[in-house]
Amino acid sequence: MTILKVAKLVKRFGGLTAVDGVDFAFPKGKISAVIGPNGAGKTTFFNVITGIYKPDEGEIELDGKSIVNVKPHLITSRGIARTFQNIRLFGSMTVLENVMVGMHIHLKTGLFGTLLRLPRNRAEEKRSQEEAYRLLEYVGLESLLNEQANSLSYGAQRRLEIARALATRPKVLLLDEPAAGMNPRETVDLIGLIKRIRQELEITIILIEHDMRLVMELSDHILVLDYGTKIAEGIPEEIRTNPRVIEAYLGKSAAQQGVIS
Amino acid sequence: MNFMDKWKTKLQHLPTQASIYTLFVVVTALSVYFLDKSVVAFLLLLGSLLLLYFTSFKNSVKWAVGGILLFIVIPFATSGGLAHESYMEVATQCGIYIAMALGLNIVVGFAGLLDLGFVAFFAIGAYTYAIFATPQANNFISGQLFPLSGSSFWLFILIGGFVAALFGVLLGLPVLRVKGDYLAIVTLGFGEIIRIIFNNMEKPINITNGAMGLSSIQPPNLFGLKFTFPHQFYFIVVGILVIVIFTVRRLEHSKMGRSWKAIRENEIAAQSMGIPLIRTKLTAFAVGASFSGMMGVVFAAKQTFIDPTSFTLLESITILVMVILGGMGSVPGVILGAALVTILNLQVLTELTNWLNQLTMNGTISIPNALSPSKMQRFIFGAILVCIAIFRPNGLIVAKNRKVDAEQLKAERSHTPVPVGQSTGQSGGVAK
Amino acid sequence: MLYLFCGFYIHKRGFNMISEILQTLPQVLVDGLTLGAVYAVVAIGYTMVYGILEFINFAHGEIFMTGAFVGTSTLLIFNTAGLLSGMPGWVAYILILVTAMLFTGLMGVGIERVAYRPLRKAPKLITLISAIGVSFLLQDIVRFIADLKTGSFLVTGISLYNENVKIKTSSIWDSFDDAFLKTNSIIVLAVAVLLMIGLDIFINRTKWGVAMRAVAQDRETASLMSINVNKVIALTFFIGSALGGGTGVLFAQQYGTIDPYIGFILGLKAFTAAVLGGIGNVRGAMFGGLFIGVLEMFSAANLGIITSGNFGGEYKDVVAFIILITILIFKPEGLFGRAVKEKV
Repeated sequence: MTILKVAKLVKRFGGLTAVDGVDFAFPKGKISAVIGPNGAGKTTFFNVITGIYKPDEGEIELDGKSIVNVKPHLITSRGIARTFQNIRLFGSMTVLENVMVGMHIHLKTGLFGTLLRLPRNRAEEKRSQEEAYRLLEYVGLESLLNEQANSLSYGAQRRLEIARALATRPKVLLLDEPAAGMNPRETVDLIGLIKRIRQELEITIILIEHDMRLVMELSDHILVLDYGTKIAEGIPEEIRTNPRVIEAYLGKSAAQQGVIS
Repeated sequence: MNFMDKWKTKLQHLPTQASIYTLFVVVTALSVYFLDKSVVAFLLLLGSLLLLYFTSFKNSVKWAVGGILLFIVIPFATSGGLAHESYMEVATQCGIYIAMALGLNIVVGFAGLLDLGFVAFFAIGAYTYAIFATPQANNFISGQLFPLSGSSFWLFILIGGFVAALFGVLLGLPVLRVKGDYLAIVTLGFGEIIRIIFNNMEKPINITNGAMGLSSIQPPNLFGLKFTFPHQFYFIVVGILVIVIFTVRRLEHSKMGRSWKAIRENEIAAQSMGIPLIRTKLTAFAVGASFSGMMGVVFAAKQTFIDPTSFTLLESITILVMVILGGMGSVPGVILGAALVTILNLQVLTELTNWLNQLTMNGTISIPNALSPSKMQRFIFGAILVCIAIFRPNGLIVAKNRKVDAEQLKAERSHTPVPVGQSTGQSGGVAK
Repeated sequence: MLYLFCGFYIHKRGFNMISEILQTLPQVLVDGLTLGAVYAVVAIGYTMVYGILEFINFAHGEIFMTGAFVGTSTLLIFNTAGLLSGMPGWVAYILILVTAMLFTGLMGVGIERVAYRPLRKAPKLITLISAIGVSFLLQDIVRFIADLKTGSFLVTGISLYNENVKIKTSSIWDSFDDAFLKTNSIIVLAVAVLLMIGLDIFINRTKWGVAMRAVAQDRETASLMSINVNKVIALTFFIGSALGGGTGVLFAQQYGTIDPYIGFILGLKAFTAAVLGGIGNVRGAMFGGLFIGVLEMFSAANLGIITSGNFGGEYKDVVAFIILITILIFKPEGLFGRAVKEKV
């Protein structure tokens, strides 16, 4: 079953076509990976899905409903959350507060509720703190709840971004290079975390990643982009041996030899 | 700060703190009361509020003591001598500027939007009351209903705040689409536009009386009691200020406050968390503007005369200096910054000028008129801005994040059976 | 009947209005282009710094103002030393221009070194605040010196070329009135054009100009290419500030009396010009400056006529700001700039 579908998606910047007619159906409850060489348009693809860029052509459907021209913050409340390639945390806020910001769309207290602080507003605030804390436990950052976000290590910042994205209670979670800058141990932990998110929380995961070990181990489906176009799709085994993919990554000569390591 | 820290470690013992603090307040209050005009004693008495902030009493105790100081000790202590009204004038001005600085702090400190035309909202509040509390409104509303009596003042505090907030939204709608540092220039332009408009709106319909300004504004009236002296306005200002501080404190640690800060830290990430950028920024503009508007009404009533020269760019920058000096995003910092700058402006510079003039007249030294400290405002403000930016970008009192006690959270969690995650029935909550 | 009357009235007024506007048009153009040339050169200073550091140098207006004061006071010093009588006017003019340009150029470098460079990695907001601080400091330092030396912060200089030339524009079309042109206006225009051409050649033809453009494109890559980025930034500030200071001299010569506060609003309008032409775009700034100058003079002369006296020339600054805001909202890349997307 498909949860997110893109059809003939096009995004241009001036003369450059960053995403060029991509079609893909992301299956529900699975982990899909978007891979491709640098500059293949992967992050732009994410930015178009999350509404930060408007597509020039094409269709994006979440659960059968179009999300083209929906504002970014409303796409979040439709159920798509994301992390960023170049980490974008709320640096001077605490770790817990970062996650609480992620809960924004689920909190009902308005301006006057805040000022009057009625029992139900107070209860909501308390509950949101508790849920944020629970999410920090989930990603293993609970001991750092009062630290300033920008004081965390690189790997911890990446996990905090995931916790923050989970706080929006997404149906689809987009992870943009979640393992970038992580050491091998952190990467192993990350793989475990992503698997747990898929299994326990039943969230569909789409990730961009350069670490092929991680991609091959995690993903059920892979979409390969090069120069903005889809050059291949399929299960990891197919992609591993697909000559066009190997060519895109390593050039023609490697393609004749066979396999991505 | 370091000095304060050392002090605090020596005085961890609460009873010691309490007795020393009481002693300090009593001594300064008595000296203010008995000495005829001692600026130093008065400043120390005001300083007791700052000291209170650094004590380790419980928050409720601090609020109570602060209330007693503001409503009883300070008004009473200053009532001893001839300088009563001038002390109260300074304290009232401090209160007005603190409220405005707290408003600007929401915009600059919390939401990270550099607004260089903030005084426009103060002007809007002031003119809102002034136009209707003088015969001026008869020019465009028939029936000779105006001036409204001084008892309408109380309602106008709210109206002034509301109108300013409305203008905040109206100005914000176009302006907030502009990104980053362009915003500073655009708000600067808007501040000037508002001033030019007030300066010229005597035609086609005479609304603001142009550069002549509006005079004989009705003083506030409460059941026949007319408010005309600074020591009376003092209570109005402190009253509003308490509400303002209360509001800011609540907003700061709420969904709204977190959204503002998230936008300040990273707009794109904030938007990806479901925060509507324009609407959230507009709220910051509106709430900040409303504080300024309310104080504008008070200002108009206190001065009984206003004209566009009170609302220049220098005023906007003055309020900005208060926020930057105190510490962007830090409520106690901004209060301190506003108090320091106001006192510097009204007391220190004037006193210094008088003193130097005295010396020059006696022939002790010869200070050229150009160097007169009261003319050096821009120099001082400029120096403060540059120095703070380079050496202490977080200001005098750095904004603190509220810490949450993890143990308490865990303990309370066992009492709440249904976490928010499941209650809405959406997928994706953390099931555990 | 009333409608008829009104219609007639409006028609008649419309006709009068147009002819009134036409009468003053030559003068508006002459004055507008002169003022516009000033805006254009100042705008270049904003644009150059923004192009390289992506930061609005708030103090640039004050650098312009300082240039005006340095030029004026140098001239006054020449005068009291009795040098002026033995010197041809144009020599004096060149001398004060060069003095002011050197002074403000070095001042710009100093400001960058002290107030901006330590903040290059700090949030933008902090750098802006530092710039606002510098701008206030400069205002007051100049005020202080002027006040100390002359007893007033308003300073009236000596005009080197102030003859009025009548241009017989009425002979071109009889709806026009004649325009009057100060000889100095010609100098302003000529010097401004020379400065701009010189800058254009410098940026596009010289080694340093190329380095400047490289740093504007991508500071990190440029530094990898062994370009000394700090030097290039300093050079940018030198040139931008020298241009601003030189324009200050032209302005002082053109309008006679100066005060320490002329820089702020003028800077704001020059910035508008820079935005209009596309910030970072030197030629765009030239166009923007001339456009804003003419528009300002046109509004000053005709706003009252167009609105039948309801909104007079006092609103001329409002017109400039509205343009600024409109451009920033609808076409933030300016008329000649290229749209840049923030990298996500």
